[in-house]
Amino acid sequence: MRSLRYVLHGLAAAAGFAILSHVGFAFAADPPAEPRKDAVLRGDAKCTRCHDESEEYPVLAIGKTRHGTVADGRTPSCTNCHGESDTHINKPEGATERPAPDRVYRGARRSPSAKLNEACLTCHQADAKRSHWEGSQHWNADVACTNCHQIHTQHDAVRDKLTQPDVCFACHKEQRTQIQKPSRHPIPEGKMGCSDCHNPHGSVGPKLMKRDSVNDTCYTCHMEKRGPFVHVHEPVAEDCSNCHNPHGTVVENLLKVRPPMLCHQCHTPHGAQVGQIAGQGQPSGLLSGTTSGKSGINYFMARGCLNCHTQIHGTNNPSTTNPTPQFNFR
Amino acid sequence: MTTSQTRKELSLKLLAVAIAAAFGSVHAEEPDDITALTKPTSTVAIGGGFVSGDEKDRSLFSQYNGLREHDAFFLLDFDFLRRNDATGTWMSFYGRNLGLDSRELRAQWDRQGAWKIFGEYWELTRHYPRTINTSLEGSGSTSPIVTLLPAVGTGHDLDLKIDRKRSTVGAEWWFGKNWMVEASFINEDKDGARIFGRGFTCPSGAAPSPICTPLASGVNQWAILMLPEAIDSRSQQFEAKVNYLGEKLTVQAGYWGSFYDNHNGAMTATINGNLNNPLGHPMGQDGSVPLTAGLRNILQLPTALPPDNDAHQFYVSGTYGFSPTTRATFKYAYTRAEQKDDFLSNGLTGAPPGVSNYGGRVDTNLFQAGIVSRPWSKLTLNANYRYEDREDKSPLALYNIEGTNRFVNGTYSLKKNAGKVEASYLLPGSVRGTLGVDYEQLNRGQFESPECLQLENADCIGDSIAGITALRSETRELTYRGELRRSLTEDITGWIVLSHSDRQGDSWLKPAALPATGSVPVSDQEIFNRTGAFPIIFMDRKRDKVKAQAEWSPSEKLSLQFTLENGRDDYSAPTTKGLSTTEVKTAGIDATYAINDAWKASAYYTFNEQGVNVAHSSGYIIKYRDRNETMGLNVRGRVSPKLQMGADLLWINDRNTYDQTLDGSASATNVQFFAQSGGLPDVVWRDTRLNVYGLYALQKNADIRVDVIYDKQKLDEWTWNTFVYSDNTTVTLKPDQNVTFVGVRYIYRFK
Repeated sequence: MRSLRYVLHGLAAAAGFAILSHVGFAFAADPPAEPRKDAVLRGDAKCTRCHDESEEYPVLAIGKTRHGTVADGRTPSCTNCHGESDTHINKPEGATERPAPDRVYRGARRSPSAKLNEACLTCHQADAKRSHWEGSQHWNADVACTNCHQIHTQHDAVRDKLTQPDVCFACHKEQRTQIQKPSRHPIPEGKMGCSDCHNPHGSVGPKLMKRDSVNDTCYTCHMEKRGPFVHVHEPVAEDCSNCHNPHGTVVENLLKVRPPMLCHQCHTPHGAQVGQIAGQGQPSGLLSGTTSGKSGINYFMARGCLNCHTQIHGTNNPSTTNPTPQFNFR
Repeated sequence: MTTSQTRKELSLKLLAVAIAAAFGSVHAEEPDDITALTKPTSTVAIGGGFVSGDEKDRSLFSQYNGLREHDAFFLLDFDFLRRNDATGTWMSFYGRNLGLDSRELRAQWDRQGAWKIFGEYWELTRHYPRTINTSLEGSGSTSPIVTLLPAVGTGHDLDLKIDRKRSTVGAEWWFGKNWMVEASFINEDKDGARIFGRGFTCPSGAAPSPICTPLASGVNQWAILMLPEAIDSRSQQFEAKVNYLGEKLTVQAGYWGSFYDNHNGAMTATINGNLNNPLGHPMGQDGSVPLTAGLRNILQLPTALPPDNDAHQFYVSGTYGFSPTTRATFKYAYTRAEQKDDFLSNGLTGAPPGVSNYGGRVDTNLFQAGIVSRPWSKLTLNANYRYEDREDKSPLALYNIEGTNRFVNGTYSLKKNAGKVEASYLLPGSVRGTLGVDYEQLNRGQFESPECLQLENADCIGDSIAGITALRSETRELTYRGELRRSLTEDITGWIVLSHSDRQGDSWLKPAALPATGSVPVSDQEIFNRTGAFPIIFMDRKRDKVKAQAEWSPSEKLSLQFTLENGRDDYSAPTTKGLSTTEVKTAGIDATYAINDAWKASAYYTFNEQGVNVAHSSGYIIKYRDRNETMGLNVRGRVSPKLQMGADLLWINDRNTYDQTLDGSASATNVQFFAQSGGLPDVVWRDTRLNVYGLYALQKNADIRVDVIYDKQKLDEWTWNTFVYSDNTTVTLKPDQNVTFVGVRYIYRFK
């Protein structure tokens, strides 16, 4: 037993000597340390020596993105966006806490939006899609690019129509409900995104419309409404949103209000009867075999006023004789 | 032991690998750690889905998602990404919903900063959620045939849908550092039918005797028909632009053309036999007469369908940086929209003599200029001006002759001047204050000086607006805004915006008494008309709005967001009827909570109310309110190293109320009926939706994902419920709908 112990001690001593001698050799030789290799981006070594994929916001996945395409000489290094951050990399002596990088994109120590966006616009200013960023509603509201965009991930949620609305709903709460309503655009299904109609980076149109006006934006998919028609309906030609809420409603065709109330906002002459539903026990004065078609039932039920004024967006019927198409009957 | 489960997994894997291999060599994940983390990942997801119930059980749920017509579905999505690291060239091929009729595909090949070419194919079917029971023949054609059903509900069920198929190709090319050209072409074919119709009452102002067959005094005859609009059209867009992207100056100059081609020019119905009277009995009973030739002829007149049209825009826009702190934006665009579709070839007759097409033309000139400057670090100035001149140059002709009353076509021109100036200053406490003024002037000068049509041996005929009581050539709106915004603090950030707008206009114009045309300026007293039509776009309006949002993080794990909005518009015109006020109220709270490193949860509640107060000449006043509450709960987490799960619960409760009252102008009949009916009932829509998913890692580069969606919707509305068309056609929707979708997919990742 004792001999075994000697053998083990001997082996341990030999191993210890070998290790010590190896370390000692290393210390003794002390060759110049090889510079740490960049992991993804040019010059990222000084960051990736500490930061890796185990972070709350993993950094290495930037290699999967356009920013991580090193063959494109315009792509950035970490410090192009986060700043040289000397005090963050080399914590000053005596500092109790490591200072933040020059630009902090999230959390309590987040840098001002203008400072964050400056980093992005260094390259992306020269992009026609963002030509009207300055002065736009989002610019004015201190929105930072990184409020919407995720840089360190292959899948930037805001650039996918299926996931984009959730990013926008972080601020736009009213629309979060509206896009789910029975009468709506196919937004929850990912067939349309907010950016199909809006340019969040700024535009000449109202409400950041992608085209120069509300109507021009709607016409990109609904050209049949453009006309010009022989008989025009003026509020239609002026602004589709006079009658429609494009984000969704409970009324068919995304109408803001159910006809005839929608129409009666402007047109009060028609309909000498209060709203009626068929089967409410209408007296013969209101409903008989010979009562007029201009009845409370026909105004309020089915398509309301559009039961007769079917061509409400305008008609191209040139007929000069009665019954006139002028009131958009046909 | 090989179980059926493992056989399925194997076959799915083989299929996924085969699809992946089709894109080129397949490298299973993990050549080394860094490569795995930094090389773009491609995925293939393949599987099947099942949806419960029948088409009526899921008509609301599956309007657009491709899950309407069948019970079982093949699910296939892929996202293939490859980058040549040596050249920076990307190749991507993307497909989604390939087993459904909402499929889309995209292929792109590009080298960053050098060139890009791409192509897309996109399909969408929109199913009308209501079911139509009818005897109609030729639905979706331009010559439907109407025959009276013997009884309600005895016809065939008709489900309307519209298919859209869109193809896009595009390219970009960089020349040197500063120049780039882009071009794209989109073609979209639209096919199907949507709910539409035709209705007319005889006799009426637009169809007096002898157009409607004369009936005994006080005897009316009318019909309302459901005639689906036949849709078969093609729209195309082409855009080409040149970009100069310099350090100070960026300029974009381009052409955007859009072209609409409708293969259907007009729809003409045939009415077989008789129709029902207002009581739902065949005409001829209850004191009425059988369908007269007059009304039949009117219902069989062609309905014009949207005409072919096109628009061409030339534009130049860009930005100029005067200094690092001062930047200007600009745009000029000229657009010509034209519509010259031939009347006769579309089956539309009766045009004015010598007129074969409308010859419609609208020219729009748009100019915009803006400047932002930060003269010193705490102060930001922002100014913007926009001018838009929409000139309708369509030729005038006498398109409507009603006895001695003659009307020309309704051209519509508009000039719009809009501008804003605002200043923003950084106050102590990280609070930024902004004051701004917006101005908008709309001029519809044509009402004041209508264009003229000089007829032979007749006076000048002006551009009349039939059916309108009051016009206004100019409105002006001034808005004052104030904003406080606090950011960059560790616990609470937020903003509040207050604004007040006042829109006023010139004196009202009254359309000249027929047969004269044009308009006459009149005082408010002269134009006051209880039964008049005062378009809301001309009315005076005062708008007040306050919006606020705040974010608070009481701890590292918990963050809260509060939203508040209150707005009101007050409209006024020389009438006691029409629109008087609109309102909007929103309040909400969002919370996110990090339960631990593996689990996160978020929840929200939003209340929204939109109101419209309208009064009508018949004496009814409606205070319409759309109130809704929305709640959501989302949980995501990792159950074990191999299993991730998530759940999203959405609950929406939406109620439309009408809150009707009558004023002194209501007739005794209306007062009596209103007392009996109690007014219009509420419309209620509720949606409860639960999405649960689980993602189980079979191996490092392959997962199984299971999705379960349960959706329960209730739509209780009176709009269609008891309404019966004149041919006994009905339109119904199952008011309570429950549907469950289960999808299982095998997901394979590769590089």
